[in-house]
Amino acid sequence: MTLQATSMPTRPWLTGVREAIPLLGGYLPVAISFGLIAAQAGFTPWEATLISLLVYAGASQFLFVGMVASGAPLWLVVAMTLLINVRHMVYAPNLAPWLGQSRWWPWLMHGLTDQVFALAHHRLPQLAAAQRLGWYTGAALLAWASWVAGTALGAVAGEWVVARWPLLGEIMPFALPALFLALLAPQFTSRRWSLALMISIITALLCTLLGYTNIGIPVAAACGALCFYAVRFTTPHRGGNDE
Amino acid sequence: MNSALWIAVLASALGTLLLRLVPLLWMRRRLRKLDGEEGVDAMPQWLTILGPLMIAAVLGVSLVPHRLDAIGWLASASGVLVTLGVWYRLRSLGWPVVAGVAAFGAVVILASLWS
Repeated sequence: MTLQATSMPTRPWLTGVREAIPLLGGYLPVAISFGLIAAQAGFTPWEATLISLLVYAGASQFLFVGMVASGAPLWLVVAMTLLINVRHMVYAPNLAPWLGQSRWWPWLMHGLTDQVFALAHHRLPQLAAAQRLGWYTGAALLAWASWVAGTALGAVAGEWVVARWPLLGEIMPFALPALFLALLAPQFTSRRWSLALMISIITALLCTLLGYTNIGIPVAAACGALCFYAVRFTTPHRGGNDE
Repeated sequence: MNSALWIAVLASALGTLLLRLVPLLWMRRRLRKLDGEEGVDAMPQWLTILGPLMIAAVLGVSLVPHRLDAIGWLASASGVLVTLGVWYRLRSLGWPVVAGVAAFGAVVILASLWS
């Protein structure tokens, strides 16, 4: 699956589907876990599946189900769900230069998760303008469908799946960091960028270890950005370009 | 689910969609205003920087293994090294992921056989 080409011999949506397949390694185990937890919290398989279909935001769905099960006020449940998803606000503007004026794009933003953004941010600039809508639709729909199907499977047969293949749930999620690594590797183009990216990665990793996963993502990105600007302001000019 | 819970689900769904959609409409309007500039040049600089850094942050979160013991970290480190090694050779997306997961899985399976 080489991504350097700017044109595609096959249909763009099919290429999008194919290139989003690595996402499934991360999506399915987490979606199955969500279905299982939702069922244990008293939601029917139908309700759990509808939550995944409509909300489609991993971490906030776990929070939603957990808070509802603990009897939290519903206004607080909605507020916390949206607070976790605030980080999504920077995704669409980053892709906007490569999205045309099609009326479908705003609706397709429903599928703009962390992972789909990472893939699209890397891939859309490489595609011809006419191929982008089809590519994104294929990639986003596959990711969405896998999330919904995984939830349904988890709600109906989650306990059986976990008991049957205990190691699968441990191994497959590594597809996500592996995919992010392959997406980010071309960004290490200078010392300045490398330092900022490493600061973000390490900060997010430490926040997760300390139990602050969701707030850790924007905080880590902000730390990386601060580093990016600080390095520019403090590095003496030597005639070269370190960007 | 009772009707209040359904309203909470729908409010969360609509709110999440708006968080993803409204910034796109804002950026589209900005791009139209700056008509003639290349798309990337029309973006605020902080936004072009924040995009890759958000991906880096999500990478940092996903790097933490499920099992926080030596085996978990060893498996993650092996997966990272193999992913980067294969990416360096092939400069592609699919095979580095496959190789990284295989390396990660090999360490986990070997450890489970060992214990």
